Amino acid sequence: MRAIFLLLMSLFCSAALAQSADDAASLPAPSSTAQRLYAAAKGDLLQVRVLLKSGRTQSSVGSGFMVGTSDLVVTNYHVMSQVALEPETYVGEYRDTDGRRGAVELLAVDVLHDLAVVRIDRKGSGFFKVPEALPQLKQGQYLYSLGNPLDLGFAISEGAYNGIVSRSFYDQLMFTGAINAGMSGGPNVTVEGRVAGVNVSKRTDGELVSFLVPVRFVRDLLKQVAAQKSPPADFKLVVGQQLLAHQTTMVDKLGGTPLTFKELNPYRVPVWESDQVRCWGWSNDKPDKTYAVDQVSCAMESAIFVSGQLETGNVSIQHKRIQSDELGAWRFAGLASKLFKSQNVGWHKDLRLTAPQCIEQFVSNGKLPVRAVLCMRAYRKFPELYDFTLLTASTDASRMTLQSRVEANGVSYPNGLRIARIFLESLEKEVQP
Amino acid sequence: MNAPFYVEVLARNGEVRHRQRVEALPIRIGRGYDNEFILDDLHASPQHALVEIGEDGGLQVRDLDSRNGVIFKGRRRNQLSLDGDTVFRLGHTNLRVRSADFAVVDARRDTTSHGWEGWPPALAGLALMVLLTLVSAWGEDTEKSGAIHYVNALVGMLAIALVWVGGWTLANRLFGGQTRFGRHLFIAACGLIAIEAVSLVCSVAAYSLSLEILTKFDSQLMIAAMAGMVYFHLLTINPNHPKRIAFASALVALLGAGVVLMVNYQKSGLFADELYISDLYSPALRLSADKPVNQFLDAAGRLKPAIDAERGKAVNGDDESPE
Repeated sequence: MRAIFLLLMSLFCSAALAQSADDAASLPAPSSTAQRLYAAAKGDLLQVRVLLKSGRTQSSVGSGFMVGTSDLVVTNYHVMSQVALEPETYVGEYRDTDGRRGAVELLAVDVLHDLAVVRIDRKGSGFFKVPEALPQLKQGQYLYSLGNPLDLGFAISEGAYNGIVSRSFYDQLMFTGAINAGMSGGPNVTVEGRVAGVNVSKRTDGELVSFLVPVRFVRDLLKQVAAQKSPPADFKLVVGQQLLAHQTTMVDKLGGTPLTFKELNPYRVPVWESDQVRCWGWSNDKPDKTYAVDQVSCAMESAIFVSGQLETGNVSIQHKRIQSDELGAWRFAGLASKLFKSQNVGWHKDLRLTAPQCIEQFVSNGKLPVRAVLCMRAYRKFPELYDFTLLTASTDASRMTLQSRVEANGVSYPNGLRIARIFLESLEKEVQP
Repeated sequence: MNAPFYVEVLARNGEVRHRQRVEALPIRIGRGYDNEFILDDLHASPQHALVEIGEDGGLQVRDLDSRNGVIFKGRRRNQLSLDGDTVFRLGHTNLRVRSADFAVVDARRDTTSHGWEGWPPALAGLALMVLLTLVSAWGEDTEKSGAIHYVNALVGMLAIALVWVGGWTLANRLFGGQTRFGRHLFIAACGLIAIEAVSLVCSVAAYSLSLEILTKFDSQLMIAAMAGMVYFHLLTINPNHPKRIAFASALVALLGAGVVLMVNYQKSGLFADELYISDLYSPALRLSADKPVNQFLDAAGRLKPAIDAERGKAVNGDDESPE
């Protein structure tokens, strides 16, 4: 089971189903607060569009808001990612609630918290203030998200604040209200009109479970914009640096977390289990099976969005115990081989990453001997970032084996080796008394 | 030079297709019914050529002003001396004329074991194939799939074997005169066992000794085994030129190996069959010792420059893996 996050930008294929007009009768009366807020905010609310330079057709759309009385606009990084990574192909544009358009200039990105700051050719009215002192939010308090859902038109939606969630690697606010594709980058405000966060994503496997980037990260990014003389010439380098910083934080945090050992008797398998790394179990337990597979899978539920084709900066761990009383050693070996062979370690024609290169050996940490395969791939566009895949198959018994797969995506070479080492050193088998 | 004389029509491979005895010289050859040797060839003239005693006392053939002439070694000749091995062409027909005292070569030593023809090798080959198929189907049967699994494997194997052996039998009938189905079936069965054996030995040895190269290029060794099989099939068809056949088989093997390398490269960007040794065996079959974690990771660390070098290489591909 995996959580499904939807980043809220509308891509070119947003086919919206129109609701029947009868539904309108059953809706509650519009909140007067929402009416008042929308009326006050609409001058500073924008749709941010990314266009193909050739043909000027839109490639992705999101929302944004003007900060104070400046000419700066805050939106999500994922709305602007194509402009950041492929400025030769894509260009940004804004459209306001009156339908006026203009060019946007990308000033700064924060890939890790999914924020971007752009400059436009007019100034804000001062409605959206990014406060130095952060608003104190209470659970259940009303919040309002604004934006342009599904490219249909500007909209406001009311919902409740439900605390800070730490499932994604960086803190996000949980907003129990409707936000839809196209509202990405739009502001989320309190009743008083103070910015609480920026619309970023929602869970598609739930109802009204939406997420906001806390406003403190917006404040930090705006400070950075104020301090810089000119925008970076190549945002790919900036993104690469931020991904490197992320993997340092991530691996330090994981490395500092003590491993949890799960029992897959007689094996004791190491995992990291935390708010960010969730574990799920699975078994092929059926009466007509000639062999049993018991599996523990742990993975970070979120990854860093880099582009529509690339999410990275996460770790996953899978342990699988296969055993059989029925199959003899020979056929069991065939079964174990089939499972070991079916592991996908990457394709050679991938534009994002190089072809995998592997090293393999019989390795033992003194507690459990394994056949280990470690495959590495380099990111083509981001220096010093790699994907590591460690595959192991224990070689301790003829009719039972522990096969593990540890993946570290978007890590530095030393950190990839560090994660491989942690797992290779901690696989264990209980010695039978 | 004694009468009678024999005019022989030869196939392109030199075999006699038809032979006619003529009691005395001269021998008139042509399509007309007033000839001693009537040539049913639309490209032969009614009075085409004449075989007679030449100036040197031997046989000679003379063109009777025919439309297409007497052709020897690609050139038209008015007269041509015949020594019993001279093959000339009239129209589309290759001919040879010999007299009764022509000295034929000695009998060839018979190396064929005539007891091992027909049913005995056919049944032995069939039994070996069935056995091999059942054993390998048993090895793959990890899911309690029941009898149908084995029946499927047998039917598939027999269908492929029938096509393969049928092809060789047909070739044998065309170029060797006999079918020798039993022999070819037996050769195919032995070849199959050899190929399986090579694959198994490579796979077990690769695991046992931790020798990656053995599974990365085991298809090349399997192709070599297959070339061995082709050698014996060809030798059964024509046992006269073992060296030529060996050369041809080696050529086939090289071509096959080249194709496999190309397919591998297209599929995975590597010439090797697989990226890592995926066949695992029982610990009892292992000879290679465990290495410490440090040594393994140090080796992984040394791979970094090679991986970084890949970054610069152009790629013609996609963002997503094809899955």
